[in-house]
Amino acid sequence: MLAGFEEIPSYKVVSHYPAAKNSEMPGPYRGIVARVHSKSVIHHERVDQASVDKMLSAGIKTLTGAKAEKEAWASFFSPSDVVGIKVNCSGAPRICASPEVVGGIVRNLLSVGVQPANIYIYERFLDQLTSVRYKRFVPEGVQIVAIETPRASLLGYDPKTYVDVSFFGEDDTRSNLARLVTERFTKIINVPNAKEHQAAGVTGCLKNLAYGDFSNVARSHMREQTNTLSFIGTLAAVEPLRSKCVLNIMDGIRAVWHGGPFSENKKYRFHPKTMMVGTDPVAIDRLLLDLIEEKRKAEGAPSLWDRSMDKIDRRAHLDFHKNTFIREPGHIEYAATNFGLGEYDRNRIKVTAVEV
Amino acid sequence: MLAALLLPSLLTAGTEPPAGAVKLNEPRVQYRADEASATRSPWIDANGWRMARDAGKTFVYHVKGEAAALAAAESFTYGAGALISADAPGAEAFGRMLQFLKTVPEVDLTPVADFGVVDDGSALDGELLNLLTRMNLLYKIEKNADRSFQVNVRLGTKEYPKEDARNPSVLAHKIRAQIGDENRSLRIYGSEVVVGRLLSGPDQARVFLLNYSGRPVLGLRVRVRGAYSKGELHAAGLADARVADWNQDGPATEFTVPELRAFAVIDLGR
Repeated sequence: MLAGFEEIPSYKVVSHYPAAKNSEMPGPYRGIVARVHSKSVIHHERVDQASVDKMLSAGIKTLTGAKAEKEAWASFFSPSDVVGIKVNCSGAPRICASPEVVGGIVRNLLSVGVQPANIYIYERFLDQLTSVRYKRFVPEGVQIVAIETPRASLLGYDPKTYVDVSFFGEDDTRSNLARLVTERFTKIINVPNAKEHQAAGVTGCLKNLAYGDFSNVARSHMREQTNTLSFIGTLAAVEPLRSKCVLNIMDGIRAVWHGGPFSENKKYRFHPKTMMVGTDPVAIDRLLLDLIEEKRKAEGAPSLWDRSMDKIDRRAHLDFHKNTFIREPGHIEYAATNFGLGEYDRNRIKVTAVEV
Repeated sequence: MLAALLLPSLLTAGTEPPAGAVKLNEPRVQYRADEASATRSPWIDANGWRMARDAGKTFVYHVKGEAAALAAAESFTYGAGALISADAPGAEAFGRMLQFLKTVPEVDLTPVADFGVVDDGSALDGELLNLLTRMNLLYKIEKNADRSFQVNVRLGTKEYPKEDARNPSVLAHKIRAQIGDENRSLRIYGSEVVVGRLLSGPDQARVFLLNYSGRPVLGLRVRVRGAYSKGELHAAGLADARVADWNQDGPATEFTVPELRAFAVIDLGR
């Protein structure tokens, strides 16, 4: 039994990869978040590239304390690196890791000498990935790849690195980590969105890494129950994913306060015009909880922490008074408490707010 | 009991199957949306349990199209004599599969079981056997409990009341828990629509894989209890196919079948 949580499934983690000293999450900036806001970054759904570039520059410099942007990026990446940029396209093209943000990240990687062919923009599913035209925003040679091609193929996953668990008696009890992560990348930049999630409460850094890099994860949900509380942190802590993810850049230019992750209904989307940069996924996700909870409160929606069964309704994505599942926003604290993935205590998170 | 390799035959048009032949369902998958879940639970129409229960009898399929190939492979897997009545496309599919089956080497191996089921021939037992087959829980049908198994299932006993069998899924999961996943002789990862069978002998083993979905399964992972150092893949419809990502670790051997169409046989050696 893991600390402080009851009815946790029995997990078996199989990985032959050791932790990399000094780089495993939460990385060198535990409990530190650079939160950058720009009034001009989006107008009528159009994202302003110049504002994005300023936000990225301010975010990385504020986080690292570096005076120059290049110096800041070089503290994470070297020319020999093979870098995976884990985007989030589950709500694409309505909401996703903005191509302007991803394009900006790629330019910064190139500026410190990473080769275009060694930069991968990746996601689990090809149809979601290609619905966003990242190609238009990055130079020739940058790779845009899906793990699962075609969908349900296990060939893109490492058969020797997995989490084995039975949630509801399913016979396939394994979730395997992507081969790109185990065999190809030396570093990962995690680029989640700021979204409410009908099962996990919110989907931020931890969930984008966990459910976005492993196979066979949807099995964690059944009826109103999900196992996202413990599954997300368990997956995110698996090596080498934990050591290779050296930077999180949450794209909160757009956000979703209900109906996530797919966000079929645009009335539940809003524009925080924010980016959060850090190495600590828990700290960023803790701030995301506040962001979404406050917005839901303002809109008159139930709290993310509301577990009442009378609000469970399969059509909840159409009605913000209802919930599809019992949400598990506690997955963030769980990941902090049981895996040390970051700082959850709001009083111990140092947020440096920057306006550009 | 040794498993003989029996090749199926095509039932020519206008010919009646012999009296007493056991009629089988078309092997296939039905995708049923689980109304309470975001995921789908496929229902496999598999006949392995009937061939195991009525071993020695003649079986007959009435199928169309590619299902004829799967029917041929299914009867071959269970060492059953089968007649297959098919339409023209089905006869062609059958012919292709038959050519493949003829290339599978003869072996002298015994079916592997992890537990016994004392079968009284009832519909209730049949339902249970059907589900156990689909869940890749390897059983041996018995007239009396075989003490060499730690688990022997006999419906109507205190441990396995008939009332429990009215929900065979609950009972099957109970049996699975009693065996323990780690102790299962065969595990299949990466698909809910593949049914396996395992034969073994002192120095070798054979895995049969039947894909009921009608679509290729990519990257299927197989775990077999026992230490094996090599594996030869015979995959229907694929020339020069090889197993990948071999891993012999502790009490089990694992490997990947990169592509599984309707049927494959993997021969494992020490």
